[in-house]
Amino acid sequence: MPLLDVAKQAVEAAKAAGADYADGRVVREDSESITVRNQVMEGIDRSDSQGVGIRVLVNGYWGFAATALLEPAEIERTATLAVEIARAAARLPMDPIQLSETEPATGTWHSPMQVDPFNVALEEKVALLMEATRRMQEVKGLAFAEGGIDLFRRRSWLATSEGTAVEQTTVQSGAGIEASAVGEGELQRRSFPNSFRGHIAAAGWEHIQRLGLIEEAERTATEAVELLSAKECPSEVTTLVIDSGQVELQVHESIGHPVELDRVLGMEEAYAGSSFLTPADRGKLRYASDQVSITADASLPGGLGSFGWDDEGVPAQQTPIIIDGIFHNFISSRETATRIGERSSGAMRADGWQNLPLIRMTNISIEPREGSLADIIGDTKDGIFMATNQSWSIDDKRVNFQFGCEIAWRINDGKLTDMYRNPNYTGITTEFWGSCDAVGGREEWTLWGTPNCGKGQPGQVARVGHGTSPARFRNVQIGVRG
Amino acid sequence: MPGAVGPDEIRRVSQAALDLPGVDGVEVLFMHEWGGLTRFASSSIHQSTWREDTGTRVRVVTNGQVGVASTNDFSPEGARAAADSAKEMAQVVAPDPLFAGFAPPAPIEATESFDEATASTSPTTRAEGVAALVEQCDQGFTAAGAFETTSMEVAVANSEGQFCWAPSTLASITTVISGGEHGNGFAETFGARVSDIDPESIGKRAAQKARDSQNPHDLDPGRYTVILEPSAVSTPVGFLAWIGFGGRMLAEGRSCFSGKEGETVAAPTISIFDDAASPLTLGTPFDFEGVPRERVDLIKDGVFLDGVYDMRTAKQAEKATTGHALPPPNPEGPFPLNLFLAPGDSSVEEMIAATDRGLLITRFHYSNVVHPVESTITGMTRDGTFLIEHGQIAGPVKNLRFTQSIIEALMNTTMIGRETELASEFFFSASRVPALMIEGFNFTGRSDH
Repeated sequence: MPLLDVAKQAVEAAKAAGADYADGRVVREDSESITVRNQVMEGIDRSDSQGVGIRVLVNGYWGFAATALLEPAEIERTATLAVEIARAAARLPMDPIQLSETEPATGTWHSPMQVDPFNVALEEKVALLMEATRRMQEVKGLAFAEGGIDLFRRRSWLATSEGTAVEQTTVQSGAGIEASAVGEGELQRRSFPNSFRGHIAAAGWEHIQRLGLIEEAERTATEAVELLSAKECPSEVTTLVIDSGQVELQVHESIGHPVELDRVLGMEEAYAGSSFLTPADRGKLRYASDQVSITADASLPGGLGSFGWDDEGVPAQQTPIIIDGIFHNFISSRETATRIGERSSGAMRADGWQNLPLIRMTNISIEPREGSLADIIGDTKDGIFMATNQSWSIDDKRVNFQFGCEIAWRINDGKLTDMYRNPNYTGITTEFWGSCDAVGGREEWTLWGTPNCGKGQPGQVARVGHGTSPARFRNVQIGVRG
Repeated sequence: MPGAVGPDEIRRVSQAALDLPGVDGVEVLFMHEWGGLTRFASSSIHQSTWREDTGTRVRVVTNGQVGVASTNDFSPEGARAAADSAKEMAQVVAPDPLFAGFAPPAPIEATESFDEATASTSPTTRAEGVAALVEQCDQGFTAAGAFETTSMEVAVANSEGQFCWAPSTLASITTVISGGEHGNGFAETFGARVSDIDPESIGKRAAQKARDSQNPHDLDPGRYTVILEPSAVSTPVGFLAWIGFGGRMLAEGRSCFSGKEGETVAAPTISIFDDAASPLTLGTPFDFEGVPRERVDLIKDGVFLDGVYDMRTAKQAEKATTGHALPPPNPEGPFPLNLFLAPGDSSVEEMIAATDRGLLITRFHYSNVVHPVESTITGMTRDGTFLIEHGQIAGPVKNLRFTQSIIEALMNTTMIGRETELASEFFFSASRVPALMIEGFNFTGRSDH
């Protein structure tokens, strides 16, 4: 049976069991991962997973159940269970859930791709990582040279009791290298093009071919070794310039999460936390300096957060989040948007078939301004330049943060001078963004992928995107020590 | 509702992979999880779910070359397809010089960690539990959290003849109660049986914390004596599983304990061990390559002894596996999943009475590594942080950021609680730990709530 028909069958079974509203989502996911360290194969694996998630509204309460078995009897049993779960939820009364309007959608969508990475010979993938790690190992003093390739394909078939019936496919490819040097009580690491498995995009093998892993291997390894003998990052309040990769993390943690409307409404309170924002802040709160505009855009080609429709069947949208520093919009779902008198921004996505959709970032990006990274550094009399995220921590309302990077340099009269190891910085979200006085231009803007965004109970992992340019911030506390 | 697949059916499906021709060996790791989670916020049930899934993960070796593939198609055809895929991958890679073979046949001690009542808990029963918890909220306060009842069976079969199977159940309830004049309270409990869960008492604990947390004051960062409740202690202990106790990190000089075997790394009253077989934790009796899990003393009387190993890492370190493999492939190597910090002889009340000026911490939030070799982590307090003055709770304070070496904190531990709790750090499995009193804990920032 075509899988869209299976999704429709789930909807019909749920309605027959008593659901007022139902959606059925069949998902099949395939992944392939290769890891090489010091030219030794550390891991090569493939996985596939398929199943159906059935979500229902009964008398204004949600229920959700999921099964890996797509036989009609199992779907009927699972749909009935979803209805039972919704009825049980009525034990604690609340205002019945209302869904914002959306036009029933039909059609298909596919992420852009030139070369299907799953069809590329394993030998070619392994050879790329072997050569990249070989080149890193040629750098004297390096302990570990690691490379990884990650491929992901998600096909989904969504049907709703309102008439939506859509089929979507996204293929995502990523790769990266990591060099580690160990000694004298230090572990120093440099990554390229970004940390935590590199640069992943909704694209095919052509994306990996363009990354330049082999070409950048020697520089990456050399910097890791040099960091071992570099000075410790000083503790001071100074001007901070961060590269595009670190701005990605900064946007993700201190803008992307706080603008999720379910957090704002307390729906994530006990686990990942809530937000310092309130619905009354829309159009009023100065979140950042006038250099900063942020947009959520689920239609960006190549973004991990791109799709044709979200997992509620709401079409991909562009939503201005911050315009010239002023906060304007949340990212939302059909349920939560109704609670603030709006329509869904189309941000509901589920991890696989076995989880119910949550509000997840799409592609939350900073709008480019002007100038290159070199221009920003050249325009900085004294400060610190930090590159490549290493660690992150932020409080439960997304106010106080502390982020670490792999490497830093002193900026002196517009030039990079001393290298520093173990750099980090800390701040308060709106104060930090309020101190931003430069955002790089389009030529520096990169659409990064974050494939490991955690949220929800049971825990879900989302794949989201962030387009970012380097940026400069004034009066930042750097060099926090234990 | 579905139940366990059981060893006979798992053997039958696994055999389709084990029969793969033209290879030197095959290992099948089977995992089956089913259960429900009732999630609540604003004192209403807003996300309630049930799911069931299986995973059949096949590792194939041929001429020392290793490949892994997994599927959730639990059938002989699915297992065989995964084995074929793993073989295809193995054939294109170089031999793994650290491959140490598959687990030899070994008896596995049976555990009684499966509870039918937990496995069959209905959404209605969980909803009643949530209602009992929510009823503990004062006027103007609401509860958020989750009540989970899940079941799991894990099995490993390999071409060496090893077969082991273990079913288990988990029940947990976690809540944050908030409201009034800006104050939160947290409480949680875990167990293998739903009958171990008392939602009402958890609600009462969190409600009292929320009451006590009203109108928190600013406090300057700095070094303070702290009393960490068990949920807070689970953060540094959990992080040691990640950055300290793994055999691979130790062997490669990346652990905060590398080269420190036999050295004092904690106060002499501190002992940390891993023991999956203990009835006081939630463990399986074998690891994910079918090796019986051993109790491992990691830190004994303040002295670091050794880490944990899987077969590959044991070969690298020229030691024996301790039965701590994670599912393959696993480049980071083994982790301890069932940590204990041994209890002492104090109560939290005695710790408070012994504190001239310090802080009582309920739990930490979103912690992360700052310097792995120095064991320095950073994170925030949340859901109940209190100033102690002259041996008494003086009042709530706003949340603080810490940046602290775990080893330094363990060295500066002066009192240890006599009661232990299973507590879960944000990212890790649950550890059984007592409360700790630590001198000179380093706070480097503060938030506005």
